[in-house]
Amino acid sequence: MTTELHSQWIPIASSSDLPLRHVYQAKLLGREFAVWRADDGYVNIWENRCLHRGVRLSIGINDGRELKCQYHGWRYANRTAGCTYIPAHPADAPARTICNNTYPAQEAHGLVWCGEQAVGEIPALDGFETATTLRPIPINAPRDFVIEALTCYSMADGCAGLVNEDGSVTVTAGDGSAVRLFVQPCDSNHSVIRGVVNRAAQGADHIALLRTHSQALSALRRKIEAQAAQLEALEPMSAPIGRVAEDLVDIPAASTDGRNADLRVQVAAKERTAEGIVSLRLEPLTGSRLPTFQPGAHIDVHLQNGLVRQYSLTNGPGETDHYTIGVKREPDSRGGSTAIHDSVQKGDVLAISVPRNNFPLRRDAVNTIFVAGGIGVTPLLSMARTLNSQNLGFEFHYFVQSDEHVAFKQAIGEFEQAASLHKGLSPDETVAVLRKVLAEPGHARHIYICGPGPMLEAARQVASNCGWSDEAVHFEYFKNTVELDDSNSFEIDLARSAVTLTVPAGQTILEVLRENGINMGSSCEQGACGTCRCGVIEGDVLHQDVYLSDSEKAEGKSIMTCVSRAKSDRLILDI
Amino acid sequence: MITLYDYELSGNCYKLRLLMSFLGVEFETEKIDFYPGLQHKSEEFLKLNPLGQLPVIDDDGLVLRDAQAILVYLASKYDSSGQWYPTGDPALLGQVSQWLAFADGITGTASAARLHDSLLYRHLDIDSARAGAHNLFRILDEHLYFAELDGQDWICPGDHPTVADIACFPYIMLSEDGGIPRMDYPAIRRWCDRFKRISGFVVMSGVFPAGPAPAKEAEQAA
Repeated sequence: MTTELHSQWIPIASSSDLPLRHVYQAKLLGREFAVWRADDGYVNIWENRCLHRGVRLSIGINDGRELKCQYHGWRYANRTAGCTYIPAHPADAPARTICNNTYPAQEAHGLVWCGEQAVGEIPALDGFETATTLRPIPINAPRDFVIEALTCYSMADGCAGLVNEDGSVTVTAGDGSAVRLFVQPCDSNHSVIRGVVNRAAQGADHIALLRTHSQALSALRRKIEAQAAQLEALEPMSAPIGRVAEDLVDIPAASTDGRNADLRVQVAAKERTAEGIVSLRLEPLTGSRLPTFQPGAHIDVHLQNGLVRQYSLTNGPGETDHYTIGVKREPDSRGGSTAIHDSVQKGDVLAISVPRNNFPLRRDAVNTIFVAGGIGVTPLLSMARTLNSQNLGFEFHYFVQSDEHVAFKQAIGEFEQAASLHKGLSPDETVAVLRKVLAEPGHARHIYICGPGPMLEAARQVASNCGWSDEAVHFEYFKNTVELDDSNSFEIDLARSAVTLTVPAGQTILEVLRENGINMGSSCEQGACGTCRCGVIEGDVLHQDVYLSDSEKAEGKSIMTCVSRAKSDRLILDI
Repeated sequence: MITLYDYELSGNCYKLRLLMSFLGVEFETEKIDFYPGLQHKSEEFLKLNPLGQLPVIDDDGLVLRDAQAILVYLASKYDSSGQWYPTGDPALLGQVSQWLAFADGITGTASAARLHDSLLYRHLDIDSARAGAHNLFRILDEHLYFAELDGQDWICPGDHPTVADIACFPYIMLSEDGGIPRMDYPAIRRWCDRFKRISGFVVMSGVFPAGPAPAKEAEQAA
């Protein structure tokens, strides 16, 4: 049941109740909240319930960037409450739909305010510009009953109390001292008295002031509770838990082109981070939240000149108030990197897609080795920052031409002890270093590689020679340099849709699907990113992508519909 | 070698496991089937403790009962720093003793409620046990709130926790098993986080670990 109170801002905590790395538990109008402050200061007010098994998140772990459920370790991001990792599915990226309910939060007057559907402003506290926040006093009595009783609160001679429009009570004493008391309705018979006094105090005076009010309010509480015990007991409030939050409703709508740019962001900063590389900080136009990302995720950036390019996010966990990407000026640019370097400016608005993660990071490895080449550092940076924040072991090998080419030095500085720079190596020297770095495959050891094609090929080859299995070697190409053959014609049977289509020479499976009104998400459209992956039920595939591993290609159970085709006359696809 | 007559789900036994872990004292355990075996009421066990209660320790022939008494004994004997049970400072020692007695009150209320709800001790008056626990929690929450304002992390003054913290911790942390939520006690909830971050902290069923503490400089900046 929604009442007028649901749209009011009501204090549910003192600011001092939210120290770093703590999870506070609150209740408002029958609904329980897990409340936590991230290391960046942001106050999160969430449904107190893990989406997995309903365990209270208020017993969870606040690691400063994410909240981890104690039960099965599901992790949720600061600000968005989107799930970033499910330990039982270490190799998969959680679906974006797994997102907890969040509630509005504001901090003012030393209090944290919330309202399920809060609108408007927090009450202005005229006369309380310099104030002291009182110790909260929980009380077993209904809100209205407590409000009534508080008008008789007395902390000095000649006190007079009156009820304000917002239901708070102002008590003024003869000497001009005043206290404003708010009653937080936790449940029908359970409230918390919170208040501010109209004077600042320091040291012993501060403690004495708080103690005086704590004792006076406790004494009043004894009276109120004795009276309230005589009242007829009210039914507890019910707070139905909605299935999805507002954020979820914003999931990109199905469309025919599959390359949606649902987000608008502003370029908040554009900086040179290394020779030939700029970093862009993208912030939301309104509010302070962008959709949840996972380490390894990329976004499509729709440029002013009509081109669409993919860039990996370099953000650390929980940094959902902005995205940072790094863009290298490509000497043989087809217009993408040049546009960003030369035309995009601070303040520009860009259209981007929501983050997609086709390069998920396992967090159950005993050791992880990152091999970054040049601008390939970007997705690996986000991954390394994640492992570092969880104190999980990893090595970070970054191959660059020279010192001037080292991008994102500050972020790399977060895990200095794990980072090794390899500068100015020839291809042969690079292979020699990789042989050492990748010398020891083993159980629960994983490699993540991203960099220019030749280096990536070399690293995969070295890993294979050293005995690493395909499952332990994860990689992401920037682009597909395979020469594409689209000369044959074949049929595709869409098993779920009960449709048969013909793919003629010169057209891709993806194009034929779209022409026939079948939506298929895509991003790079050159066989590098993995977004348009589709299951294959029957038929031989002519793989022309650089996303799937050799064993996945041999298995033949997936196809990249943007570039790959059929070897046989017919493919049965799982659509 | 110390032998602890132990039951895994007992908060009172957990107090001793905690202290011995904090002190790095080695011990053996003798498992007592408290529920459903009621082994603590067996003739054999009554010879060790005629009260028929856990925990009991045997330290090279010295047999002691009562969790608080054993905390005092173990800290006095095995903590050479004298911080866990500070006998040198009468004012501090008085406060430690005061809160050890308070912990007995928590056992009589919060633990009783838990026995009622979780281990089927249906003869206990559950409403009075819960109300009694809430009353004690209100007192401790106010105490810890003002201790924090004074820059104190622990129940008794000083930079180091004492056996009073250990004696109070388990049945507060397990109170939800007896239908006693701690939502109304934010200062107690913060103290629980600090307690779990003491080096050597161990968990028991129903007690979860805390996450890493914030860096000192980040804490101050906030």
